[in-house]
Amino acid sequence: MTAISCHDLSKSYGHYQVLHGIRLTVKKGECFALFGPNGAGKTTLLKILATLQRPSEGRYEILGLDGLKERESIRANLVFLAHGAHLYDDLNAKENLQFALALRGQTPTPRDIKLALDRVAIGAFAEMKVRHFSAGMKKRLALAKAILAKPKILLLDEPFTALDAAGTEIMRAYIRERLAEESAVLMSTHDHDKARPVISRAGMLRQGTLREISIETLKADDLF
Amino acid sequence: MTFFNVIRWIVWKDLITELRSRETISSMAFFALIVILIFSFSFSMDQQAAQEVIAGIIWVAFAFTGIIGLGKSFSTELQNDCLEALQLVPQSKGAIYLGKVVANFSFIFVVEILLFPMFVIFFNLDVVEEISLLLLIFFLATVGLSAVGTLFSALTVQIRAREVMLPILLLPLVVPVMIAAVEATKGALNGDPLTMYSQWLELLAVFDVIFTVVSFWMFEFVMEN
Amino acid sequence: MIIHRAIRKVQRFQGWFGGGAALCIGVGLYLGLLASPPDYYQGEVVRIMYVHVPLAHTSLLAYLVLSVGSIWYLWKRDPIVDNMCHAVAALGAVFTTLALATGMIWGKPTWNTWWTWDARLTSYTVMLLILIGYLMLRTFIDDQEKEARYAAVLAIIGLVDLPIIHFSVEWWRTLHQPQSISMRGVSISSGLLVPLLWMSIGMSLLFSYMLMVRTQLLYLDRLLHAKKGRLLSQFHMSKDDS
Repeated sequence: MTAISCHDLSKSYGHYQVLHGIRLTVKKGECFALFGPNGAGKTTLLKILATLQRPSEGRYEILGLDGLKERESIRANLVFLAHGAHLYDDLNAKENLQFALALRGQTPTPRDIKLALDRVAIGAFAEMKVRHFSAGMKKRLALAKAILAKPKILLLDEPFTALDAAGTEIMRAYIRERLAEESAVLMSTHDHDKARPVISRAGMLRQGTLREISIETLKADDLF
Repeated sequence: MTFFNVIRWIVWKDLITELRSRETISSMAFFALIVILIFSFSFSMDQQAAQEVIAGIIWVAFAFTGIIGLGKSFSTELQNDCLEALQLVPQSKGAIYLGKVVANFSFIFVVEILLFPMFVIFFNLDVVEEISLLLLIFFLATVGLSAVGTLFSALTVQIRAREVMLPILLLPLVVPVMIAAVEATKGALNGDPLTMYSQWLELLAVFDVIFTVVSFWMFEFVMEN
Repeated sequence: MIIHRAIRKVQRFQGWFGGGAALCIGVGLYLGLLASPPDYYQGEVVRIMYVHVPLAHTSLLAYLVLSVGSIWYLWKRDPIVDNMCHAVAALGAVFTTLALATGMIWGKPTWNTWWTWDARLTSYTVMLLILIGYLMLRTFIDDQEKEARYAAVLAIIGLVDLPIIHFSVEWWRTLHQPQSISMRGVSISSGLLVPLLWMSIGMSLLFSYMLMVRTQLLYLDRLLHAKKGRLLSQFHMSKDDS
């Protein structure tokens, strides 16, 4: 069952064309990894799929919902872990989670929140203001948000950046859990080594064009 | 139900953040104080003139102070890309708008109440009988400023030259609020009977209703993507 | 490259607008400047009215077109409508400024004052400020789609606001200052009316012509940029493969 499908997606900023005719399908229970050099358009593609931007041409469907017309329904089923952590420096970890989930119309119990924080190993910092968090801790807190949201579609922009070995394993375990629950995961990444254990399929995005590549032939030097 | 929840949470988040950081209200209050001092000093040789234009001075001060607060309303969302998070909200964005309007209104109104005594002191105003009317004028005018200002704060936050574009776009649009607020304040400070200037209060109320509705509707287009 | 079908349609008759404008303005100027009598009270100076009044009417027409276009754009999202909005806003700002300038030139000898904050002038000036703000906003946004959308929002808010602005300013002036200068007081004899009509029609035709031409210019510019982008990226990609 197809979770994400793109049909000839293109995106231009003025006369600078970032994406050319992207065709991509990701099935439920699949994790698709986007590799590519900086500036290739990986983040742009993720943002378009996350309904943060509109494509200049083409269309896409997420869970059968039209990407151009049913954006609100798509957002309800999707979590985008982006480059910025979407956290408020003056709120503590718990409050950030409560706020973020409330915006999605969810009200997690204090117990749910505690479990999520413990799972990403920042339970001890529940009452600490995010202002004092390191980049890795912010990434983990963002992951806790995803854990509570239980989305059917997970979009990840360089999820392993700033995570140490333990954090990386927590992230991978979470991805596996989502895949087991028939969610679809689309991630952009540089960290070929860290991502390899959870990838189902992979693609190379270079200068705005996407080419699927086989996982077996994935070697670090192949990627650029 | 989620709609009102979202409003509640946005208001809560903005108020709690302000309570902890005290950035917005303190900078607004201090700016307003400086404006009052400058005006008082400039008119110190001509008290007569000052008494005639005091209502205008009050609203010039409040308008520019308000713009500072309105600008901060969405520029604080730029930290950690939180603006993106707001754009990802599944439900109607209108709830975010209303929450922000309530928060912005609160900050501006609090600063107005804190700083009005400064006006009384520095310009020797006699306001005891009229205080509730003045509060009503402040309330209505601030709602108008917040309604349009919140929309344009969201609009300008993502563009270049954002700090200067907000006043450039906002001030012509709130001319009716300024006129009505100044005339009503003038009437109240003069001790005129309410019937003489109640038309201005009605104008403010009408402006508030129309622009809250229109801005609520337009906010969707500003936050959409 | 697909050219918008509207452009082909418009190119067929835009020349008529341009020619018609030249004709009407020519006749209007001849009648107004040479063949009609000077005003009993104002003398030769009244001839500025033949330029000032049509400019003012056309500028209001421009804002109306901007409002309708902005609503249309938010509804249908047709990029050429956005180009038209941009064009009409710039034209509107120019016509408004010229109307104000000619008004000042008329005002000084006639009423011995360059400027007054009467109700009409005040709200007219605020409209100009909104238009300038609109053009500045467009300059400061890089993303084309966002620019179109935000500009449309500003225009619509301005549309709703302008009647309220005018109303509040008029209320305000009637409170404080009886009309010392009244444009309405200028009664127009039929000798002056005919050239005015020619000029009004001519100015509207000129405005329409300029709008059509400029909209196409902006639209084609956008197409060109898109094409340039595609060619550039194809070039880079083919360089890469070699």
